[in-house]
This record gives sequence, C-alpha cells and structure tokens, in this order.
Amino acid sequence: MFKFLINPSRFNKFADIIFKPLVVISSLILIVGLFLVYFSPLDYQQGLTVKIMYVHVPSAWLALLTYAIMTIYSIIGLAFKIPFSFVINKAIAPIGAVFTLLCLISGSMWGKPMWGTWWVWDARLTSVAILFIVYLLIIFLNHSFENRDVREKTTAIFILIGSINLPIIKFSVDWWNTLHQPASVSKLSSPSIDLSMLQPLLIMTLAFSLVGIIIAILRIKAEILIRKKYP
Amino acid sequence: MMIIKKIFLFYKRESKLFYSNIVDLFSNILFFFLSVFVFIFALGTDEQLLKTIGIGIIWSLLLLSSTLSLRKFYEEDFKIEILPIMHMGGMSYELIVFLKILSHFIFVQIPFLVSLPIVSIFFNLPTNEIYNLVLTFIIGSLILSCLGSISASMNLLNKTNFSIGSVIVLLFSIPLIIFSVGINNADNDFNSLLNLLIGIALIFLGVAPWSSAACIRLALNNK
Repeated sequence: MFKFLINPSRFNKFADIIFKPLVVISSLILIVGLFLVYFSPLDYQQGLTVKIMYVHVPSAWLALLTYAIMTIYSIIGLAFKIPFSFVINKAIAPIGAVFTLLCLISGSMWGKPMWGTWWVWDARLTSVAILFIVYLLIIFLNHSFENRDVREKTTAIFILIGSINLPIIKFSVDWWNTLHQPASVSKLSSPSIDLSMLQPLLIMTLAFSLVGIIIAILRIKAEILIRKKYP
Repeated sequence: MMIIKKIFLFYKRESKLFYSNIVDLFSNILFFFLSVFVFIFALGTDEQLLKTIGIGIIWSLLLLSSTLSLRKFYEEDFKIEILPIMHMGGMSYELIVFLKILSHFIFVQIPFLVSLPIVSIFFNLPTNEIYNLVLTFIIGSLILSCLGSISASMNLLNKTNFSIGSVIVLLFSIPLIIFSVGINNADNDFNSLLNLLIGIALIFLGVAPWSSAACIRLALNNK
C-alpha cells in the first residue's frame, strides 16, 4: 500500500490521482483557516500581534517535520540503497528552508512589538537559525559535486550528522531558561492554549502541510523527469 | 601483535610526512599570531576591553586557523592512492580514519598549545583563564580534528565548491565554542561544562570515523 513512498512510478501514478482533489481541499482548508484566524479572539496582553502565531507555529513545526522526513529518507536511502529517497531529499530541502525562513521572519516581526527587539541570542532562536544554515548547506551540497552518486550520498551523510540539531531545537526551551516560551501544545499533557485559539492553529497547520505536500509533489515529479532525461 | 606493528608503521610514516613539511605548520601558527595582532590593531589597545573579550577572540581565531589546513587532511593520501593499499594491508577505513584523527591531533593541534600562553600574554589574561584555555583546547582540538576529518572526506571529489568544507567545520563547532568560552564565566559550573565538552568530544569521536569512512569509500568507488 505504501509502495508509492519508495517507488518512482508508483509515486507518479498516486500523485496523478491525488493531485487535483488535494489542490481543491487544501485551498478550501486554507480559506476556512484564514477566516477562523480573522475571527479568533484577541489576546489580552498581546492584542492583534497574537495572530502572527498562526503563521509562526505551523511553519516552525513543518520546518522540523521536513528535516525529520529527510533524515528518515537518508537512512532508508543509505541502508537499503533506494535511489528514490535521494530524489525526495533533493526535492524537499528548499521547502524546509522556506518554512524555516518564514518561521524566523514571522518570529522577529512578533518580537519587535512584544520583546522590543528583532533578534535576541536566545537558545531556541539561535538553534532555528542554525537549522536554516543547515538547510542552505544541504541545498549547496546538492549543487556541488560533478558525480551524481557521490553528491547524493554525501548530502545524505551530511543530513544524518546535521540531525543532531533537531533534539536541541525541541528541548532548548526546557534545557536553558530562554526568552522564548516553552511548548503550549503537547501530546503528553493537556494543552495550555485555549480552545478558541487551538482550533484555528490546528487548521492552519493542516493547510500549511497540505500546501507543502502539493509543492513537494510538483518538485518530486520534476526531479523524476530530470533523472529520466539525464540518467 | 600484527595490528600494533601496523599502527606503529602508520605513525612512523605520519611523523616523516610531518617533518618533511613542518614549514606549513609554522605558517599556520604564524597566521594565528598575525590574526591576533590584526584584531588588536582593529580594536585598539584598551587593556580592560582586551581582558574581557580575549578568550572569545582567541577561540574564534583558533577555529579559523584550524580550517586552513583542512584540505590536506586526506588529499595527499587520496591522490597517491595510499588509502586502498592500507586497507588491503588489513586495516578497515574506520581504523585508518581514527588513526588519522589522532595523528592530526598530535602533529597539528598540539603545537598550537605552545602558542596559547604566548598569545594570552598579549591580552593580559589572568592565570586561571590561561589554565582553562589550555585545558579546553586539549579537548576542543580533538573535536576540531574530528570535524576536519568529516569535512575533508566529504569534499574529496568536490572540484567546484572549495569553501563549503570550512563552512561545515564552523557550523558544527558552535557548541564547542559556546561551552569552552562559557567555562570562564563565574556563573557557570566548571565541572559540568567540562563534562559536557568531554561528552561532545566522545560523540564526535564516535560519529567521525563512521561518516568519514563512508565518504572515503564513496570517493574511492567513483574516482
């Protein structure tokens, strides 16, 4: 059933079936999410700037999720010698970089009215900035080598080493006492965020991830075509 | 007993190579000294200022000067194809990388240790900070050797993008520089930070031979 995740021709077939409904559904969800964000209540301390959170948090989650997916695909590609995983690695690295950049920019736009500065040298902020640099290095490594085999495997090894950063980002708010607030939405405990704010947040997260999946499908299909043309 | 003899011969060869181009190491150390001078000229010679920021400057310049000698980490051996010959002699690539990291640590990083007290005189550092600097450099330079091995083996076949090796080293040395400079801060606990540094060194000693050996195998297969 999940063969389309590791087989290019199966992936093409699956993507052709799923693509148009996905575009319709994701645009609907995005519109609904934006309406919910518009009508969501204002925070009694932050005022209108709380609405930046509905862009900031989903993009941060998706930046981490994209890197985790790349790490899993690197392990699969190196261990089981499946070349399709390197295609996915190359295709979704810029998406993760864009999500990380979106997270950083929206965060600093929120930080200026709330904290008074665009940037502080806080553990969470610094580790996310390092994640952005790691993404850039992955993109550069994808354009560096002449031999394709060497390029892909070297990039996969680099992704594996760079994944040390992921737990540091996740736990940085617990390990150091940071200016950035700790996680409000967690699976293990009941969320400390109110339901009227949690609903638009989750719907925006769903919309963001669907948009990410659409772009990823387009990029992966283009990458498969390039590989067929220049083997 | 055979493996001990092989390791002994490996280090004999390394030391010969080291003495044949010892001038390279001296120019590396000279680069370090000159960059310290340039930094002091740029900041002005205010003694109190130099005392407060001295350790940070010394550490960041040490990082920069250690990235200078990166490309010759495996380049020579790869070019004259000595690595597959060693491998045929019964040493795995992981062991070769481990020995190479240790030899880089002994022959390139330890000579820097002599220059550290001299440099800290220029900054008027107090004695306990010099002691901390030397102690953290012994651990930190081991981490730097591991990082150098990773980035040098990644870029063996890289003919176009030369600066990415230094960028990789600088990227992964961020935790090293945070903990080794923070050890002088009176608020932090000395022992816990030292243990953290040793832990990072052990992590990289575990990761570096595996990833470097994979990259070297890849480069040898696609040469």
